[in-house]
Amino acid sequence: MMSRLRLLLPLAWRNLWRNPRRTVITILVVGVGLWSILSFAVLLEAWSRSSRDTTLKLTTGQIEIHAQGYLDDPTVAHRMAPPSGDLEQLLKSSEFQTFASRVRVGAIVQSEYKTLPVTLIGASPDAERKVSVIPSQVRDGRYLSGADDTGIVLGRNLVRRLKTRVGKRVVLMVQAADGHLAERAFEVVGVFAAPEQTENEFAFAGIKTVQTLTGIADGISEVVAYSGSDDALPELVARLRKAAPGLDIQSWATIAPLEYAVSTLFNQFILMWLWTMFALMAIGIVNTQLMAVFERTREFGLLQALGMRPRLVLFEVALESTLLIGVGVALGVVLALLSVQAFPNGLDLGFLGRGAEMVGAGHILYLHVNPADFALYSLLVWVMSVLATLWPARRASKVSPVEAMARAAI
Amino acid sequence: MTAIVECRGVTKHYRLGTIDVAALRGVDLTIDKGDFASLAGPSGSGKTTLLNAIGGLDRPTKGSIKIEGHEITALNANALADLRLRKIGFVFQAYNLIPVLSAVENVEFILQLMGVEAAARRARAKEVLRDVGLEGLENRRPARLSGGQQQRVAVARALASKPAIVLADEPTANLDTKTAEDLIALMSGLNDRLGTTFLMATHDARVISRTRRHIVISDGGITSDERRKLAEAEPA
Repeated sequence: MMSRLRLLLPLAWRNLWRNPRRTVITILVVGVGLWSILSFAVLLEAWSRSSRDTTLKLTTGQIEIHAQGYLDDPTVAHRMAPPSGDLEQLLKSSEFQTFASRVRVGAIVQSEYKTLPVTLIGASPDAERKVSVIPSQVRDGRYLSGADDTGIVLGRNLVRRLKTRVGKRVVLMVQAADGHLAERAFEVVGVFAAPEQTENEFAFAGIKTVQTLTGIADGISEVVAYSGSDDALPELVARLRKAAPGLDIQSWATIAPLEYAVSTLFNQFILMWLWTMFALMAIGIVNTQLMAVFERTREFGLLQALGMRPRLVLFEVALESTLLIGVGVALGVVLALLSVQAFPNGLDLGFLGRGAEMVGAGHILYLHVNPADFALYSLLVWVMSVLATLWPARRASKVSPVEAMARAAI
Repeated sequence: MTAIVECRGVTKHYRLGTIDVAALRGVDLTIDKGDFASLAGPSGSGKTTLLNAIGGLDRPTKGSIKIEGHEITALNANALADLRLRKIGFVFQAYNLIPVLSAVENVEFILQLMGVEAAARRARAKEVLRDVGLEGLENRRPARLSGGQQQRVAVARALASKPAIVLADEPTANLDTKTAEDLIALMSGLNDRLGTTFLMATHDARVISRTRRHIVISDGGITSDERRKLAEAEPA
């Protein structure tokens, strides 16, 4: 084997540079093709992750826990106690990355100009920072400073509609636990940016302040929890239900079915699109390789005439294309890595304005190289292209040397 | 005399579309060790077809071909490749050197295929290149050699494995008169000095006049086979 390699390796390498234009074109076809596949895979994966985060990391969790009946009638009447016992133990285990408790109640917000409906969320800022991106999206003022913060954080568009601003006061009215309408003035301490619907819908205040306002003592409306991947969700939901049999525990697939379906479909679409791109590129490479090998039939005939066994001719061709495609694959991988490196702080979609939100993505796409995907696509391109050269080479090696050498001159 | 090649009743038919073409019609021919033979005949007479059949490049439709007593018509592709590697040297009209290899590497390539160890094959390659008068040009690639020099490399390559016979197909067809005569003199000298057996398909009168045996083929059959002394065969 080694002696065969010593015989054929210099021949294969020099053959590649015998026709530099053809070699460079093939390397470019493979390199640019693979680069486009790898880069788009990274981009689409970032888009998919961003759109999932946009759904899950605003106010929806991966898993939500409520009192029975809350989802049908989201009032403080359907409240629950803070997690304790088995439930708390499980939520604090390594199965979960983080969780947060909230009070979530329908409210009316009133400025001196306008009265609008909102959903008031009583949040614990430290826990909230781990489950939601909203605390990091404050564009004016500040986020809540503690569970008993008496200020309120509103969405940018809501602030505009209420004609209010940071430092001014608004009044919130909610239905309290005893059924009467409770109201309280809050100072606007911060304005957050998010998709327009979220900006209009949600207002955030300290959880203790809201608990006091609604008269529910330490009662809460929901717990949102994150485990990371969606794969283990059904199992985790089952375990949580076992730990807290009296509560309504759902994954986001149930709570936000449309977003879940879109995210799942989008991932499938990415996969299909990538494979289509992959197939098109493979056809291009195969075609180039077929032409390159067929036009060298005479040369292979000569090698056989000189006494090279057909199998060795095949090996020589395979070696040549392994080297050739290998250089192209390396080029594609390097280009793709450089492309990802070019955006260390993510790809800012600010230029798309609200358009990006409409199709579900965040403002910034964080590009992330998945080594397994890179290895898989690169290896597939490499192996398929080498296999594609073997077929015409095998045909060439089956032709008698006389017939092969009768073809066009070297 | 020892027979190197023995052809008995060799027939070759081609199909050209729907037409059956008989290229060889029962050729009987023996080439002896040390023969310096020309195979002449008009275009389409079957010269190259016979040469290809003897060299194991093509299979006859019928008949028997023996090289050094071994029947080759029933050999498979691998065995035929081995036969060509070890027993037959080829010189083609179009030189057919491997363009990416230097002169010495082209010669060495055959020895590498045979599994000869590096130092021995380099020494042998240089020796045969010296025999064909290419000392000093060993490291040139074919593109930097003249037609005559390339054909000499091809002869050196054919001789490298010390084959039973060298088959040359129109070896002078692409060469000018002076270069062609030099090449014929070279092959004749190799035949004299080393006893190498040559069979050359040609219709070049200069080649024919320098061979000691002159075989004529016409319409796929041998029509004359004449042995002569070189002195009688000087050009008219």
